[in-house]
Amino acid sequence: MDVIEVAGLRKEYPRLRGGRTVALDGLDLSVPEGGVFGFLGPNGAGKTTTIRCLLGLVRASGGRGRLLGADVPGGLPAVVGRVGSIVETPAAYPRFSGRTNLALLAKVAGVGRSRVREVLEQVGLAERADDLVRTYSFGMKQRLGIATALLKDPELLLLDEPAIGLDPAGIVEVRELIRRLGAEGRTVFVSSHILTEVQQVADRVAILSRGRAVASGPVGEVLSGGRAAELVVRLNDVSAGLRALAEAGIDARALDDRLLVALPPDKSSLVTRTLAERGLYLSELRVEEADLETVFLELTEGDQR
Amino acid sequence: MNGLLAAELRRFWSRRLLWVLVVLELLGIAFGGGIAFWNVRFELTSLPDVFLGTSLIVTIVGWVLGASFIGAEWHAGTVTTLLTWETRRDRVIAAKIIAALASIFLLSMVIQVLLGGMLAFDAAVRGSTEGVDGAWFVESLGVALRASALGTFGAAVGFAFAAVGRNTAGALGVGFAYFVVVENLVRGFRPRWIEWLVSENASRFLLARSSDLPYLARSTLGAGLYLTTVALLALLFAGVVFGTRDVT
Repeated sequence: MDVIEVAGLRKEYPRLRGGRTVALDGLDLSVPEGGVFGFLGPNGAGKTTTIRCLLGLVRASGGRGRLLGADVPGGLPAVVGRVGSIVETPAAYPRFSGRTNLALLAKVAGVGRSRVREVLEQVGLAERADDLVRTYSFGMKQRLGIATALLKDPELLLLDEPAIGLDPAGIVEVRELIRRLGAEGRTVFVSSHILTEVQQVADRVAILSRGRAVASGPVGEVLSGGRAAELVVRLNDVSAGLRALAEAGIDARALDDRLLVALPPDKSSLVTRTLAERGLYLSELRVEEADLETVFLELTEGDQR
Repeated sequence: MNGLLAAELRRFWSRRLLWVLVVLELLGIAFGGGIAFWNVRFELTSLPDVFLGTSLIVTIVGWVLGASFIGAEWHAGTVTTLLTWETRRDRVIAAKIIAALASIFLLSMVIQVLLGGMLAFDAAVRGSTEGVDGAWFVESLGVALRASALGTFGAAVGFAFAAVGRNTAGALGVGFAYFVVVENLVRGFRPRWIEWLVSENASRFLLARSSDLPYLARSTLGAGLYLTTVALLALLFAGVVFGTRDVT
């Protein structure tokens, strides 16, 4: 079952001086149940607008969205109790303590006070829970936002840039938390521009560009992007190595002081044997792996605003 | 809805601005009571006139509290958080309106009771309680209730403007512009429209006696109904805008 289904979602904002800004341009998206789903895109690609549409904060201009099987926004009241979220920078009442902020929301949804304690401990805010939010650092406010999202013990979490503003230790903690939540069987839909973070925790990703999904699927699939895997070979005499591989019928090309060999990783022994038989000894052999950043930049080229 | 209302009431009564204004009002009562105690022999029969005099303050305080209750929330961005917990916007705004208006009415009454109590003490110790009877009590209570109702009216309209503009200062500015500019223009250029001005209707509602405003044909009840209609229309408009406008 897909916990998030978006079909042809469109959102336009009127401009002050006439015309319209298209934030979402017929977005299609399916997020299966369980695990971590990374939602990537450059600034202005429509990530936050998508989350706002799914939560009923903005009305779509066209298309449809479903959350946990309920139509958005009409069916939201029936499922919102199973959805936790952070939308952009989480806002809290500055003159209340973190605990009071959570207690007020708990009261709205009929969540017990013991759950407030649990989530404060879960995000590492228990010691400062009774301090006013106005005294919190940006990172602490972000943690409070995550605690707010977790308060309902939700099946589905929509997290918009959850690690923004956190220090390195905080980023690692949030990464571990997201991984743990995904492993517990919840679905964590996380939008982020920190691609390495998403690559480390996500099972599946979608890449958004100009309001459309330009790639979507399991991380490995999106990373490969349909390209054949390559091996990177480094040796002293690149031209001799290129000749040797060509004579053995292996497709390769030279790039600076390396050879890029068009073979999958499980055929790497063929390369070492071929070169060694001709007295050529390599100093490095590794699989050329595209990272999410490279794929992201390729797919969103010209969309970096 | 009960949880939402309880949360809104808690938030209203925890606001710093509220307590700053309450402290200022208490200081005003103490100061006024002190002056009455030392300098004049206060006659308790004039208490309704004192309530009439302080009704403007009650109304302005209501306006400020009503506007800032929702305006501050838009400013802090907490409306977004709340709407991800309760997506039925009609319930959210209804809870806010009920919490604000009920609290402001109660607060206005308590402040006037404290003022009345202080002046009653002055009158009993150094002034005069002559003429104080059942009719006086009914009149005093009536003025206090009507002043509190006006404070609640101010709160409702202030809340509505701030909800539509998503801003406290804007709502206060609109109020100032209306009373200073619009009403004076109407009085100067369209005197026949005077009966539709808020100030005139508020005065008629508060003064109760038709002899005090001979140029206004409307009755006290009519003025009250007119002000109630204005407040309800403003709140209805705010509710429609709140329910349909994007939260970005």
